[in-house]
Amino acid sequence: MTKAKKYWKGLAEINNNPLVEKLKQNEFTEEIPVDEFLGDKEISATSTSRRDFLKFLGFSTAAATLAACEAPIIKSIPYVVKPDEIIPGIANYYATTMYDGHDYASVLVKNREGRPIKIDANKSAPNARVQASILSLYDSSRLKNPLINNTESDWNTADSQIISQLNKIKQQNGKIAILTSTVISPSTKKLIQNFTSFYKNVSHVEMDSISYDGMLEANHLAFGVRALPNYSFDKADVVVSFGADFLGNWLNCDYASDYTSNRNPESGEMSKHYQIESALSLSGSNADERIQIKPSEQSGLLTNLYNALSGSKADSRILKIVGDLLSSKGKSIVISNSNDVKVQTLVNAINDKLGNYENTITLTRPSYLKQGNDKDVATLIKDMNNGNISALFTHNVNPAYTLQDSVSFVKGLSKVSLKVSTSLYNDESASKMTYVLPDHHYLESWGDANPSHGEYTLMQPTIAPLFNSRQFQESLMVWIGTSDYHNYLQSFYKDIDWNKSVHDGYFTKNTKDLKVSSFKSKIESFNLSKNTQIEFEMYEKISMGDGNQSNNPWLQELPDPISRACWDNYLAMSAPTARKIGVTNWNVSNGALNGSLVNITVNNKTYKNVPVMIQPGQAVDTVSMAVGYGRESAGKCGNGIGFNAFTLGNGDAKIELLEGEYEFAATQLHHTMMGREIIKETTLADFIKDPQSGNHKETYSTHKGKQPADMVTLWDEHDHSTGHFWNMSIDLTSCLGCSSCVISCHAENNVPVVGKEEIRKSRDMHWLRIDRYFSSDMTKELSAKEKVSPIDMYSEMEEPSVNPEVAFQPVMCQHCNHAPCETVCPVAATSHSAEGLNHMAYNRCVGTRYCANNCPYKVRRFNWFQYSDNDKFDFNMNDDYGKMVLNPDVVVRSRGVIEKCSMCIQKIQKVKLDAKKSGKRVKDEDAQTACSSACPTNAIVFGDVNDDKHKVQALKKDPRAYKLLEHLNTDPSVFYQTKIRNKA
Amino acid sequence: MQKEAEIRDPLILGNKTYHDITVDVARPVEGKANKYWWILFSLSLLLFIWGVLCIAYTIGTGIGAWGLNKTVNWAWDITNFVWWIGIGHAGTLISAVLLLFRQKWRMAINRSAEAMTIFGVVQAGLFPLIHMGRPWLAYWVLPIPNQFGSLWVNFNSPLLWDVFAISTYLSVSVVFWYIGLIPDFAMLRDRMSSTLSPMKKKLYAFLAFGWSGRAKHWQRFEEVSLVLAGLATPLVFSVHSIVSMDFATSVIPGWHTTIFPPYFVLGALFSGFAMVETLLIIMRKVVSLEAYITIKHVEYMNVIILLTGSLVGTAYITELFMAWYSGVEFEQYAFLNRATGPYWWAYAIMMTCNVLTPQLYWFRSIRTSFVATFILSIFVNIGMWFERFVIIVTSLHRDFLPTSWTMFSPTFIDIGIYLGTIGFFFTLFLMYARTFPVIAQAELKTILKSSGSEFKNKK
Repeated sequence: MTKAKKYWKGLAEINNNPLVEKLKQNEFTEEIPVDEFLGDKEISATSTSRRDFLKFLGFSTAAATLAACEAPIIKSIPYVVKPDEIIPGIANYYATTMYDGHDYASVLVKNREGRPIKIDANKSAPNARVQASILSLYDSSRLKNPLINNTESDWNTADSQIISQLNKIKQQNGKIAILTSTVISPSTKKLIQNFTSFYKNVSHVEMDSISYDGMLEANHLAFGVRALPNYSFDKADVVVSFGADFLGNWLNCDYASDYTSNRNPESGEMSKHYQIESALSLSGSNADERIQIKPSEQSGLLTNLYNALSGSKADSRILKIVGDLLSSKGKSIVISNSNDVKVQTLVNAINDKLGNYENTITLTRPSYLKQGNDKDVATLIKDMNNGNISALFTHNVNPAYTLQDSVSFVKGLSKVSLKVSTSLYNDESASKMTYVLPDHHYLESWGDANPSHGEYTLMQPTIAPLFNSRQFQESLMVWIGTSDYHNYLQSFYKDIDWNKSVHDGYFTKNTKDLKVSSFKSKIESFNLSKNTQIEFEMYEKISMGDGNQSNNPWLQELPDPISRACWDNYLAMSAPTARKIGVTNWNVSNGALNGSLVNITVNNKTYKNVPVMIQPGQAVDTVSMAVGYGRESAGKCGNGIGFNAFTLGNGDAKIELLEGEYEFAATQLHHTMMGREIIKETTLADFIKDPQSGNHKETYSTHKGKQPADMVTLWDEHDHSTGHFWNMSIDLTSCLGCSSCVISCHAENNVPVVGKEEIRKSRDMHWLRIDRYFSSDMTKELSAKEKVSPIDMYSEMEEPSVNPEVAFQPVMCQHCNHAPCETVCPVAATSHSAEGLNHMAYNRCVGTRYCANNCPYKVRRFNWFQYSDNDKFDFNMNDDYGKMVLNPDVVVRSRGVIEKCSMCIQKIQKVKLDAKKSGKRVKDEDAQTACSSACPTNAIVFGDVNDDKHKVQALKKDPRAYKLLEHLNTDPSVFYQTKIRNKA
Repeated sequence: MQKEAEIRDPLILGNKTYHDITVDVARPVEGKANKYWWILFSLSLLLFIWGVLCIAYTIGTGIGAWGLNKTVNWAWDITNFVWWIGIGHAGTLISAVLLLFRQKWRMAINRSAEAMTIFGVVQAGLFPLIHMGRPWLAYWVLPIPNQFGSLWVNFNSPLLWDVFAISTYLSVSVVFWYIGLIPDFAMLRDRMSSTLSPMKKKLYAFLAFGWSGRAKHWQRFEEVSLVLAGLATPLVFSVHSIVSMDFATSVIPGWHTTIFPPYFVLGALFSGFAMVETLLIIMRKVVSLEAYITIKHVEYMNVIILLTGSLVGTAYITELFMAWYSGVEFEQYAFLNRATGPYWWAYAIMMTCNVLTPQLYWFRSIRTSFVATFILSIFVNIGMWFERFVIIVTSLHRDFLPTSWTMFSPTFIDIGIYLGTIGFFFTLFLMYARTFPVIAQAELKTILKSSGSEFKNKK
């Protein structure tokens, strides 16, 4: 064995000198002068050692750091037992039915983590109010508990008291009345019958806030059916509407898609639409020709039209209409908004004469949406006042607000001993009842609907009730000693595939046509009115409807498509009438609109200090005012805004000018295009001759000769040849201005509500706005012909015509491919995506607002204040319930940052991820923005232009396609289609 | 020793000796402030504090405290910014450009003009900071290497160019100013008694940077001044050119014009000289510098104002011509709207104060009157403020789509902040007047023998 080598440092070590070992143990041969370098002897006297000191230092530093890093506490409670169908982050959709006594829609509800957050179309396209009803669900002003004599109580007490009183009334054979809105639910009708047979002397009265009784009665007289017809505007070549705003609120039906489907300039087929009205309605603004009349002239003109169809002399104003109607017999529709049986009979006679029944108008498959009976309501009020009614149950109605003669209703109420209201709110009527029972919101309810003959839709709850509420149907059952409406409903439809129907949301049943007798009725003829008084007419706004959702801040802030004002109602008046009375509108120093005040008296009812807005399109010597305002018990947003036009009723008005001024909140302060090519338009005849008509591309002279504006560029083009290239086409011919997209955008993108004061400061936050232009009497051609100076020309251009042509243009971020905003941001917070979108990174934005200045479309919105969790903006984002509507996929912006349309990037991303997971390309219709999916007329088409199969690709190449402000060569990803009017 | 034509009017009046100059310049620093100073200072300080409160309120609640809206996203904030930056232009021109052109008359006024420049730029710099929605993140506009991810500033943005331009201008101006101050600080240091005011003496000794007046010091001083003058001269033109690009590179009609850089520079000199006059006419009285800041100086400046005012007027008319000649209806409307739209009064004030009233300087009697000059200089200050207001607000309030057209009206916060910066400016200037040698006496002494009245009269 070899011995391991031994290393040594000196001879002394190898010799094992003991000194070496000693030195090894002692590192420092000389003593270190520790005392000297610590200096002070007292240090060693302290009890804290160096190690302890470092421990203390370390601990306190760590503790201080931790204490300083306090994160905001977000309470999130995990599911103890996770429901099978809920996966956090993934939305569920439920088909249900929206019905609130006024609006009806078959809808698809998007649920996230058990919260409904968005309403999409199912069978019918939801209008703005239906879209916004999702927010009304989370309204903290809703009733939270049953009230007995205005004190909170519980259901057991309320039920036992009501039942005992009902039994007493039953013994005394007292009369019980149930006053509801139109009931379109067959099961509810059956339940009311059950209730009737249980308590005997029960009468059920239906009322509509906007009554269609005249029409219903006229159909009953003429055809034996007390129902409203269904109209097929898609089959009508000539549409003549006397004041009926069928594209807006008339009948609350979705006629928009039918209407536009027959207005296809490409096919050369376009219906001709005449609107004869006094107040400018949405239908009137889309009409090819609009004739202004006073409301009182309608009956006379209808008589004239009826006679003219048989060959007598027609009024000069409707001469063309007569010709058009006669040449398209069986393919026309004549409608009227009159609530007079005789006038409606006349309309029926005209349609019958034109052979429209069962061609464009059907009564064999009628609509059941409106069944209110004015006579029944009047009888009920009379009975109440006579003390003949012992018990009154109301549901879904607010007669103390919507009745013209609400005073006698309220008076009669005091003579009713048992007063029960089932309602969402403690509203004007409910607050006068003994028992106020909170009803479920439709999103919390089970139910059914039979909107028109043979068609049924189902309602299913999409969330557990937020408050201690119970739906009306359940209450009815409890009061007759039964229970569980859900089971009842299911057994009511034994003969259908329940699961499939709930899933689909609709089914058909009893599809056989109704038997209708042929038209027979006495026709009364009217003389053309020579009324010289100013006439008042009430109308419905798109945003507010009959006012049942007036506590909805989204709807309050939705600009009226015609006046572009929000948070208000006012008297609309034409410019000549205003001049006559001395009424003016003017802009104050920050641009905001002010108007004169008047006193108005209609039907002996006077409102004082009513603001007047000068409204182009309003017929001379007529005034109008929207219903749905003047609420007193709507909630914090809806109370005390404007005047209740229901109580005025239509009729002659006395107007008296006052001193003083009123401050409006309008989102648009200028109304004309100022001779600019913003909305390109042409007529159908010109379009057929030349598809490019009205859309000739602007050219620039360059060294290479004339070049189209979009070819002259200093920019490096983004490469969009591969991948997605998201584009949007907006057809101005089929955009009707219904504003459904605006609310849809609000809901999808958590757009804040800012309130009237901020709107007045021109600080609306809408990501998508619908610009509305009126034509002006002054044009460039006219000024060139008459040699008007430019200064005069432009100032005259600012004035809209008295009966203007109207055009709507939805404008959102145009997603420019040469974006002026992107270059100017100092911190690159807004930048371009490879997919043709203009991105906005909120958390990078420092808020210089340079981008907003440099945006030629002015679509960028700045967070002037903190709009969420701020008591100064006490709307849904400052409310724990209201915040439940927020879309968790979209961040709520903080103050000081710019925001704008993202083309619903969260939806695009979802579609892309889904496609990636399934390993397929994004499908044609999958990618939708909130606005494109909400559009009832498919005017907004969104998609990938690199997808050969997608419609948007063809639309981009369409001869009608143009880009807004093309000469700037911002090269937007959004483009518009020329507006075509079917006029001479 | 410089030689000067005999027929030129003297630049220093009153048979001053070298010592007289020293005493006159040191007097405000060594003596006590008079009543007027205290009144002006209290007033300015009050305004300044009011402005600070308004700024605090804005930062606390949001930019919504101002009168801005979705269409007019800049108004008084950027108007004030450009106005102050413009005011800050005369200083550098006087000290740098006139140095290169060997204009001796600048010596009496360059110190104060430069002080005004620096204080003006300080006010100007405030606005880009506070006009941000989230001013606490203002440092994001600096290209600082960071760990936020791959975030970097956008070098395409004219606002970023502003950041560089203004910070460069401010730093060069401060250095230039300070270099010039060194011999004068040394003079103050030497006059201070080490027993009566030891702290002051120490302070001025520190500021004097060890100046001993050796020939080598003077030589270096001259060299550095010349080099800095060379550096500062392009800045006079670049800063306001870059500021003008905030507008010129945009697409907004009324902003998008290639004439802006020279037009803005001229306007800046115009307003800068007017502000110098406003300040100096007051200062020569308050701190008794009548012998140094003479009517001759004022007349020279009035000539520059007349020239730049006329050039600015030419620019206004060129803009109108180009609008018509371009054939672009948006451009045409923008200018028509400026002159005849709802803000016609602002345009009228601008035209009157900037183009018409300076033409009065063609008259010698007006150009050589302190009172008339003072009044007209105020006119120019007002007119130039309105020029920026007209450019910013009237261009924005009616741009491409009439549906977005609206107007702007200031809130009391807007007004408060503007007044606050005026207060801040005067607070700084008044403090400067009591602690700094307000005239570059060392330089001025070099022309006493060629341009002092004593020597001129002797001949």
